[in-house]
Amino acid sequence: MSVDLNLSSPQSAAPVSQLQQKQIGKYRVEVIREKCISAGSCVAIAPQVFDLDEEGIARIISQDGNDDDTKLLAAQSCPTTAIIVTDIETGKQVWPPVFEEVKS
Amino acid sequence: MAAAAQVFTAELAEKHVHNQKFSQFQFELVEPLEMEFQAGQYVSLAVSKAGYRRSYSIVSTPNNNHGFELFVDVSPSGQGTQFLSNLRFGEQVKVLGPLGTFVIQSQAVTTPVVFVATGAGVAPLRSMLYDQLEKFGTQRTMTLYWGLRHEEEMCWQEDLKDLVSSFPNVTFHPAISQASALWPLCHARVTDCLNVHELDITAEYYVCGSSQMIMDVMKTIIARGVPEAQIFREKFY
Repeated sequence: MSVDLNLSSPQSAAPVSQLQQKQIGKYRVEVIREKCISAGSCVAIAPQVFDLDEEGIARIISQDGNDDDTKLLAAQSCPTTAIIVTDIETGKQVWPPVFEEVKS
Repeated sequence: MAAAAQVFTAELAEKHVHNQKFSQFQFELVEPLEMEFQAGQYVSLAVSKAGYRRSYSIVSTPNNNHGFELFVDVSPSGQGTQFLSNLRFGEQVKVLGPLGTFVIQSQAVTTPVVFVATGAGVAPLRSMLYDQLEKFGTQRTMTLYWGLRHEEEMCWQEDLKDLVSSFPNVTFHPAISQASALWPLCHARVTDCLNVHELDITAEYYVCGSSQMIMDVMKTIIARGVPEAQIFREKFY
């Protein structure tokens, strides 16, 4: 049996696929202080999740300030891969890749 | 107010190899077709299929909002520069932008601005300089200090000569730290120039370079009376 989600109704403002993409809280971020060089790109991309402390080192201010896609982009923008992203549902590390890319 | 960052698709339209150290890459936007940015801001490029990204300041002016240009030091040969150097004409990239708050603060054209850069750190400052000229012509006094190691690394020489001769409000000080005997101008670091030149302590100072360079410049100009609140900086790494 199929269920009519009635996606066009006012109660469902966004399509389900979009809601799944923008789900908040699936990714947990962590900063490795020793690797941070204060580039600040994480703060520029996800300012509700990251800021810089008094020493200019990135820190987490909220895990839920920005959506998961934005948190991942912020981590990927870090030039020293100082931000680790973990999927809390699976426990797997999403970023950086566990196996570093090998250039040919 | 700065526009919110979003993901753009852009394609490489032109590439200019200035010399062994610096190259300039011109991108045209494919989707969305326009990016509203402020001079001094940067973009984050996806530089590998694995998802790695690198940040590059925009060297072009906001006047061209259907594309952007990047000025890149390709000598380190890292992941980002390899990606850009191998990019073919028409090849598409994913870009997140505009990012950053390193933009001209004072809207009063009576406030002079001093730009201090080393290496590719000149990119956001060049954008600011030309943007100010496009908006205000000769009204704002601007000085650019650009530090390089060797004179062979100098770029836009004719443009800069024309600029200085056309705009009496613009002064350019190239500082070459390891210049040959033939170099007629400053054989020095930018901090050496800032130590001996007359500094305007009412000006806003925009500094872009490595962490060490920024610390050295700040120490120098603060010691000479420039208030720290008038110094704005962007670190290149």
